[in-house]
Order: sequence, then structure tokens, then C-alpha cells
Amino acid sequence: MDLFITPFSSNGFMLQAFIAGILVSIACAIAGTFVILRGLAFIGDALAHGVLPGIAVAILVGFPGIIGAAIGASFMIGGITLITQRSRLSSDTAIGLLFIGMLSLGVVIVSRSNSFSGDLTRILFGEILGISIQSILIQFVATFVIVAIAIICRRPFLMLSFDPEQAEVAGFSVRLYHNIMLFMIAITVIVSFQTVGTLLVFGLLIAPAGAGALLSRRIEAMMAWAIFFGVLSMYSGLLISYHFNLAAGATIILVTVVIFFITFIIQNIRHHRPVHPRELTHG
Amino acid sequence: MDSQGKIVIPPGSAGAPCIQAKALDIGYSNDVVVADINFELKQGKAIALIGTNGCGKSTLLKTIVGLLPSLGGQLSVFGMPPGSYHRRIAYLGQFHHSGFVLPIRAIDVVRMGRFPLYGLWKRMGQRDDEIVFSAMRTMGIEKLADSPLRSLSGGQQQRTYVAQVLAHRADLLVLDEPTSGLDAGGRELYLQAVNNELRRGASIIVATHDIQEEAALCHQVMLLARKVVAIGAPQDVLTPDALLKTFGIVVTGDKRLQVIETQHGHGGPEPPDTKI
Amino acid sequence: MKSKFVLLSILAMLLLFTTLACQSEVTSNTGKKSIVVTYSILGSLVKDLVGNQATVTVSVPNGLDPHEWEPSAKDIETINKADLVIENGLGLEGGMEKTLEAAKSKGVKFFTASDYISVRYVGTGEGIPSGDPDQAVGAADPHLWMDPVTMKSVVSALVPALMKDLNLDVAAQATDLENQLDSLNTEVANIMAQIPQADRKLVTGHESMGYFAQRYGFKLIGVIIPSLSSQAEVSAADLAALKQAIEDNHVKAIFTELGTSPAVAKAIGDETGVKVVELTTHALSSDGSYFTFMRDLANVIANALK
Repeated sequence: MDLFITPFSSNGFMLQAFIAGILVSIACAIAGTFVILRGLAFIGDALAHGVLPGIAVAILVGFPGIIGAAIGASFMIGGITLITQRSRLSSDTAIGLLFIGMLSLGVVIVSRSNSFSGDLTRILFGEILGISIQSILIQFVATFVIVAIAIICRRPFLMLSFDPEQAEVAGFSVRLYHNIMLFMIAITVIVSFQTVGTLLVFGLLIAPAGAGALLSRRIEAMMAWAIFFGVLSMYSGLLISYHFNLAAGATIILVTVVIFFITFIIQNIRHHRPVHPRELTHG
Repeated sequence: MDSQGKIVIPPGSAGAPCIQAKALDIGYSNDVVVADINFELKQGKAIALIGTNGCGKSTLLKTIVGLLPSLGGQLSVFGMPPGSYHRRIAYLGQFHHSGFVLPIRAIDVVRMGRFPLYGLWKRMGQRDDEIVFSAMRTMGIEKLADSPLRSLSGGQQQRTYVAQVLAHRADLLVLDEPTSGLDAGGRELYLQAVNNELRRGASIIVATHDIQEEAALCHQVMLLARKVVAIGAPQDVLTPDALLKTFGIVVTGDKRLQVIETQHGHGGPEPPDTKI
Repeated sequence: MKSKFVLLSILAMLLLFTTLACQSEVTSNTGKKSIVVTYSILGSLVKDLVGNQATVTVSVPNGLDPHEWEPSAKDIETINKADLVIENGLGLEGGMEKTLEAAKSKGVKFFTASDYISVRYVGTGEGIPSGDPDQAVGAADPHLWMDPVTMKSVVSALVPALMKDLNLDVAAQATDLENQLDSLNTEVANIMAQIPQADRKLVTGHESMGYFAQRYGFKLIGVIIPSLSSQAEVSAADLAALKQAIEDNHVKAIFTELGTSPAVAKAIGDETGVKVVELTTHALSSDGSYFTFMRDLANVIANALK
């Protein structure tokens, strides 16, 4: 018991980190579910890197990183929307260039600071052990907003994931709900980067939800699994990094990936021969 | 709609057209695929669109439901521009985009057919559950309700998509190749369901390769080959001559019609099963 | 059923792994007070002062860069539970900022060394060849350990602090230490005397030699990273200006230190024909003594410049 509970019970900062982690897990589970279902992985990754210049400016000038991230994210989304509207063919390349450009811009801006390497490390890999109460409150609000959106928009989101054409004919504007999804992902990246960093937050979006997709029959179950895996990763990651003096953020992400692959392997072992579709109809 | 799901036609509009197209041009961006389409679909009637792939069938259906803008002429659906009436129109597309990562059960797919009637907020009730279940029973998949969509065979998935359309209880059904992938049993169920829909008072416009049965039970048939080749009652339109113009080669024998697609088509689905 | 199976196996594996490999450190609760000093150089003097009367722990491992080092969860815990934390101040501990602030607001007792010295401020042209206004002119220099006399002030100030906060009497040890520091100062001054005044010019990795220069009459010509921290970036314009300054002043050696890019230093050395010498400025040698540290530092400089 001592090994598992005491690091949290006797250290306020560990408990705060865990609480922040829980909130972030919930947000990422929900946003991550739609990243996977709608094939938005590339855009999600681009967003995560694109917020860097915003954060860098915030650190340099002295206002909260979260606001900087919000500005950076708006810029990225604007850019992505413009690009996908103009050209269907090469939007991958264009979006890729956009986020590489933002990433380099961010590094250039941070290089003006007196604590360049340290700042950069903290932005890229997070500083979950130093999360402040204010950050936690902001995360709480953001998570609440995301949960609210997911509940309110559950029908159009489901239809959009199933078949965008059907959604449009059913009266749910694909453009509107797609943008709401992007907005959700952006908010998630903005509040989550402080825990695991912008480099790895993408992993937190994808791995728990990915594992959930393997185990679920329904979208609600997928999200529930994603939340569970996220929280489990936070707890184990923090615990392991505590006992072994490892970087907390990266350890957490490592755990999410391990969980995903364990799930993947177990699923494949259980279905050790591919089930032929005909077997499902006869008997 | 009345309590039994029968469509009530407002007095004075009985016989008013459900779809009306005048000199309609359809296509993508600025490329016209079919020009100068003229037809009317009256309420409670069915029209089949027949032609090779790439002939404009899908384009016309998408334009009618409002997914594509028309490129010229006039098109009205229930007297309004396309896309105005979500609650009254059900659409079944030819291809499905879900990619099968989506964890969803068959019953959830069919349930989605009721969404247009309830939008974001309104709660569905027991009656909706009954309608959903009835639609699944109509297509013979009620035992698969709890199964994940991705674990179903192609034919079972297609039955599910048809059930989704049936669950809507729409005034107008817009269907693109609804029988593709269905086995003989599924096709039987589908045809019965179509008959029931017509009896309920719904209107149907369906793109199909099934000249034998489906087209035969429609009131009108339109032959398309990037232009309107012919339009009229099935027995008048489905002549060897007209089919030659549409498909390129027709081989007939023994009252059976066997249609072979040539370079006119872009390699579409296999020719319909001609048993009997 | 299968989901539960997956779940259980994951939990089991994680628990197993964590349990197997964890060796819980038994914290010896000997009743002694715990002092945490942020970096090793100051830490060595504190150890000399306190001896066995308290447990002294140093946060930044010797040899690692105190400007950048970030604490792990256990390090944060040690700081939060310390009876007294002794920090340098003036922003030296860049990577520990948040942790130290959090500890202060939680009520942990702190002693900030820079509060008890006469702080040196960076002057113009010192290490900023391009004269770019936003590069640390007027900023407070944290490298206070470079001057034994400054360290004497810190030691003196620690005596009342340790009495008040920890009830430790170190007055006798302090007097001893202060005398030793005075001797050290004389010793270093003698070593520096070997260098003619004209050659007392320093080019270093970053702006770390300010207090030393002040004490022993050196002129600061320039630095490779124009910043008080090893963590800032090198800029092309500044390097060009540095090269000019080296040639104009006939500098005899370029001293690299912790955090300086060896490649950049070598490039400048090759271009100017000036030798590149490594100087240990932020870490103690193997015997862990401040005195050895200062002597070695002085000797390396003397040998390079005389």
C-alpha cells in the first residue's frame, strides 16, 4: 500500500498532478474518440505542434501559456480550414508545411528567451509536477465544456462518424459539426499540453481511444474505456516516474502506448483465426 | 403522417408532384453530366433510374436530396428547393464512408433513421423503439440487433442500411442501388418492404440495376446514359432498342433480359442475377 | 467477458511490474534536521559549516547544469519536506523555479544566499559585443560563488539563520571557515599575480565570471552565449562581434564551460588562432571541496593567460 498510495497522499503536488491528469484524460478521451473515428489524426497532430509559437510568445511576454496556446490554435484552425477549402488534393502537404512552419516559428521565438533549452523542454514535454491550482480550474472548465458539447451534439457526431452524406441529408450541417469537432480538439490540446507537453499530447488523444475502439461495440463504451485507460495511465505513469526518477510526462505517454499494444495483442490472440462472415449468419 | 404511419396528403394537393424537374442540368462543379432533364414524380408513386455507372443516376439522386447543387433549370421537391425538408426525405447512398473503425451496433445504425425527426434535443420514446425493431424485422435482421456492424457480412450490412431508411417512415425515399450486395432472400424482403412503403403513401425514386423485378414494379422508368434516353411506363421503356442505346449491347432470349455492360459503363457492379 | 479479461491482465501486469522493481527507500528518521541546498558548490560550504549537526542534501547533482536542471518527483518531495532550503537566488536555479516557489508558498523555510551579498550587475560591453540592449545589461549576476570574499558574507549570514530556523549553533565553525576563505582569497590573488595586467582578459562560455573579474582585476571581453544563463541561444551576429572583440583585445585564451557548445568554441578558436581551454565553473572536483575548486580554477586561468 505504501508504494501505491503514499507518494500521492503525502505530497500535495503529486495529488494535484493526478487530478489534473484525470481532467485531461476525460477531455482527451472524448476528443480523441472523434479524432480516431473521423480520421483527424493528422490534423490533431498538426494542432498539437502548431500551438508552439503562441505558447512561446506567452512565455516571453509573460502572460499565461494557455492563452498563448489558444491564440496559436485559432491560427492553426483558420489555416487548416482555409487550406482544406481551397484544395482537396494537396491539403496534406499544405497542412504539414503549415504546422512545421508554426513549430519552427515557435522555436525561433523561444530562442530569444534566456532559458531557451529549459523553456523548450518544458513546452515540449510538459511540467505536470508543477501544475498550479489555476491551471486545474481552467482544465475543469474546459473539460466541462467538452463533455457538454459531446452530450449535446451526440446525434450529429454519431452520424458524422458513420456517414457524412447521411448526416447532411438528415439535417445536420457537416460543415458546422466538423468545425465544432475541430474546436473540441483544439481546446483539448490547449489545456492538456501543460501535463504531457505539446510533443506527446497527441499520444494522449489517440492511444486510450484507440484501445477503446478495439474493445467496444458502441461509441459510449469506447469513450468510457478511453477515460479509464487515460486515468490508469496517469496514475501508473506518475507512480512509476516517482519511484524511478523518470520524466513524468513521457512516462505517462509510454504507459498509454503500452496499454494500447497490450489490448491490441490480446484482441488478436482471442480472435486467433479470422472469423468468416458467413459463420455469423448460419448458426 | 397519421398514427399508423400512413402519409396524409394535405387537401387540395392530392396528386401534386413530389419531385418536379424542368430543363434540369446536373453535374459536379462546372461539369454538366446530364442536361435538360424533365420529369415529375407524383406522390405515392415510384420511379426507377436505370443506366450504367457514370451515367448520372447517382448525380441526379444527390441533387434531389440537396447534396449537390443543380447546374441549371428548375428542381423542386415537395414544392421547395432541394434540401429544405429533412424530416420528410430518407436517402440511401451507394457507398458508405464509415471505414468500420466506428464501434456501432446494427440497432444503433437503424435507430439513426429516426434522428432527422428529432434533431438535437427531442427525446425518442417507446414508439420509436418499436418502429426501429419493426424495420429490422422487415429486413430479417432482428436477431443481429446487438451485433457490431463490422462483424456483419456485406449482405447483412446492406440489410441494415435499408432498415435504417425504413425506420424513418419518410414521405420520399431516395435510394441508390439498394439491392447491391443483397442475397436473394434479402432482395425478396426488400421488394416487399418497397411495396409496403408505397401502400403507406410514400414516394420512391430508386437507381437500380435490377430491371427484372424492381424496375418492373415502378410506375415510371427513366433510362440514363449521360442524357435521358427514355422515360415512361416500364413496359413502354424497357424495349431492346432503348436498352441498346443505354447500355451498348443487349442480348435477349426466352423473355429473359440479359444485359452486358460495355465500355459505356465505367466497370460497374456485376450484371444482375438472372435466375428464374 | 473479454473486456474484463483484458482489463485484469493489464492491471495485473502494471502492479506486478511496479511491485517487483520498486525498492522503497527507507528514510532514516534519525531526528536530525534536514537541510537542502540547491547546488553543490554552495552545498560544500554548508556541509563544512554544519558538519554532523544536520543532514545536508544537494538538489542538483554535481556536474549537472544548475541553470537547467529539473527536479524529479522525489526531489520535489525532499525539498517540500526539508526543514530549511538554502538557495542561491537571482534566478540561478532556472529549472527549479516553480518548485521553489511552490515550496515557499507552502511555508517551507528558505535562506537565499544572494540576499546577503553586494550584488554585481552586468555592465555594458561586458559580454555583449553587439551592444544589443535587451541582452542582460543591468541584470543581476547570480554566480556569486566565484569570489571567496562574497562567500564569506554568505557564511556569516548563515550563522544567525541556522540558529533561528534550526536551532543549530555553528558560530565556531563559521569563524574557522571565514578565516579559511580569507586565506583562499590571498592564495588566489597570488596565483593571479602571475598574469600581467594587460593580459587579464576573459572570454568565457556565458557571463559567469563577473564576481571573479571584479575581485581579481580582470576585464570581461566577451562571451559565446551572451546571457547569464547557459540556456540561452548563440546568435550569429553576436559571434561575429565576439570574434572582432577577441582580435582587437589580443585575448590569449577562450574559456569554455558548462553548456557551451564545444563545436562553436572550436570554430571561434580556429578562426582567431586563440587557444580554447575548458574551465570548470559550475561543478566541484572529486574531493568535493570549495577550496580545491577555486584553486583549480585559478590555476587553469593562470596557466592559460600568463
